[in-house]
Amino acid sequence: MSRAYLVLLIVAGTIAAPSKLRSQDLEYRLSVVDEGTINSINENTPINYDNSILPQPYRENIGTSNLFLSVGGFSTLVNLSTSTDNLHSPGYTCSLRECAYDYSLSDAMDITVGKKILKWGTGYAFNPTGVVEPQRTPSDPSDRLGQNEGSDLASLDYFAGKSSLTFVYVNDSGVKSGRWYWGAQEFALRAYTFLSGLDLSLVGHYREGDRLELGTNWSYVIGDNLELHGEFLGKQGSSILYHQIITTDDDQQIFTSYPYTAMYDHSSEIFYKLLLGGQYTFGNGINIVVEFYRNTEGLSTTQWKRWMEFVKFQSDIQRGITPVAPDLIEPSRYNLLWSLQTLSPRGTMRDYVFGREYIAIANWGIELIQFMNADDLSAVIIPTLSFKISDNLSTYGRLSVFTGKCDSEFGALFYKTTFSLGGEVQL
Amino acid sequence: MNRNFAIVFWVSLSFLSCSKTMAQNSSDRPSADQILQLSDVSRNGWDSYNVQTTIQNFEDGKMKDEGRFDVTFKGMYKTLVKFLNADVKGEYLLMVDDDMWLYMPDTRKPIRITPLQRLMGDASNGDVARTRYANDYAPTFLREEVLEGTQCYVLNLTAKRDGATYNRIEYWIAKATNRPRRAEIYLTSGIHYKTIDFDTYKEILGRTLLTEMTITDRLRSGRTTIMRYDSYSPKELPEKYFNKDYLEKLK
Repeated sequence: MSRAYLVLLIVAGTIAAPSKLRSQDLEYRLSVVDEGTINSINENTPINYDNSILPQPYRENIGTSNLFLSVGGFSTLVNLSTSTDNLHSPGYTCSLRECAYDYSLSDAMDITVGKKILKWGTGYAFNPTGVVEPQRTPSDPSDRLGQNEGSDLASLDYFAGKSSLTFVYVNDSGVKSGRWYWGAQEFALRAYTFLSGLDLSLVGHYREGDRLELGTNWSYVIGDNLELHGEFLGKQGSSILYHQIITTDDDQQIFTSYPYTAMYDHSSEIFYKLLLGGQYTFGNGINIVVEFYRNTEGLSTTQWKRWMEFVKFQSDIQRGITPVAPDLIEPSRYNLLWSLQTLSPRGTMRDYVFGREYIAIANWGIELIQFMNADDLSAVIIPTLSFKISDNLSTYGRLSVFTGKCDSEFGALFYKTTFSLGGEVQL
Repeated sequence: MNRNFAIVFWVSLSFLSCSKTMAQNSSDRPSADQILQLSDVSRNGWDSYNVQTTIQNFEDGKMKDEGRFDVTFKGMYKTLVKFLNADVKGEYLLMVDDDMWLYMPDTRKPIRITPLQRLMGDASNGDVARTRYANDYAPTFLREEVLEGTQCYVLNLTAKRDGATYNRIEYWIAKATNRPRRAEIYLTSGIHYKTIDFDTYKEILGRTLLTEMTITDRLRSGRTTIMRYDSYSPKELPEKYFNKDYLEKLK
């Protein structure tokens, strides 16, 4: 969002705010986190052998602050971050994660204009029906460093008893080189109701130039301990870019131009994302979340193997194991870099299982996250131990262990383990 | 005339109209339902209102932590709890009928929770959000007895709604004032879970209202929780504030 847009929003909000609202107290939340990380690099992985293709840092530090301010209908969430590691000079970023004005048209209707994070999904680690919200990362579902940003949108909400209807218009417009431009238009509609203990939403989403997506999400509580939830989002065809290697048996080739293409753009095949999950809280306070996620836009086992064989071939060229003409070595290196674009922090293949166990004992919090690829059984396991020093101060240690064969999804990633120590101040 | 006042009026009227019959039956005791409804009045001053609630947890007499909450009730079955402590600022607990949600700004997704889950220390979500026992429990009269110098009715309360916080309560209500004095909480298994002593009442805006109660853990000795209520005031929030989807619009 441009600075001009921000100024416009603040001025509009201030003018439009009724005096009653303007007299309301300022609400604020401030979180400052500093996290230092030591990484154990996976130097045997074919995607980044000897850490030479896309060098990863051994040590890094991130300092980040998130300030939430709200007065009347106006609210904003600003992130300031600084990062440094053993490879790069320190960098600084400032981002406006949210900046929006909520106006109550009546006791039943609200309008929101600005940049805002909306949350529509019912899942814990995955949110396929969150069509206008940042997609969650299962290894960090709570976005602990506060990096997710909202969308530039206008939304209209209608509330009636235990139901609501929300229409959202999204446009990533702004000012560039002194001129206003319009981005791609997106439209989303959600109908929500709470019926006989069932939270149920129907979701529709259309992005200009893409295809219509339709879905549903729900959650239901059984007794005092068990919650079940699910999400489904489907569409005909897919605009996702795939590496061309996944459709050919010839994995020993070198692409001399960008190899990605939207190969299912004109397909009539139905692609869907499905989430089924549950949450159980034991009498002693232990809370367990288990989720199964299927994304048919992900790579099948066969496609992954083709892609991995292709990566190994390029890696062997770089290591000199497979001799090629000298003028092909540099293109092969680009092939390796291009192939990294296939990987996604939310899972590259189709089927995943997520688990989270948590218990708080006095001022201690113990959390264990498992994010496993159900096709090749590779996983990332993340135990976290946190300690609340006071209401305002806490500290934590977080270990991530990547397991699996060297050609499996998580076994082939850049790291073997990472260990972070962090501290947080909240006001 | 608000609904709460109307309830008091009609309960009193029915009490008076029944008194002649009861006297003829050699009894001046109102029914268990009437006693329970009257006892709720001193815990809920108005039909819709706001109260600032402080929860302090003690272990072996030493305070371990303190939580502050802004609690707004709307009618019989809707409650909105705003968390005020720095580490949970921006969190809300919403209760509508028999269902509860917890909203955390970090995840931005309201999650379903149950009234029995602990909010803080020995205080359950329901201890803060569900204070109208007559709506949630079916009473039967057990006996009359003197509790710490006060003549009390003792009622046996059994849950009649899914959203009731506890399965069974033995409830002491002062005979002269209809104010709750003590509640002994029992789990479904019959185990004595905790004791709630309703310690202090004060005159606030022309009504006598509960301002302090103590929860004693009967399963883990030495643990107590004190809940304090300040700044009672009638307050009517719009209906949409009690829609789960509205939670993410709250600041």
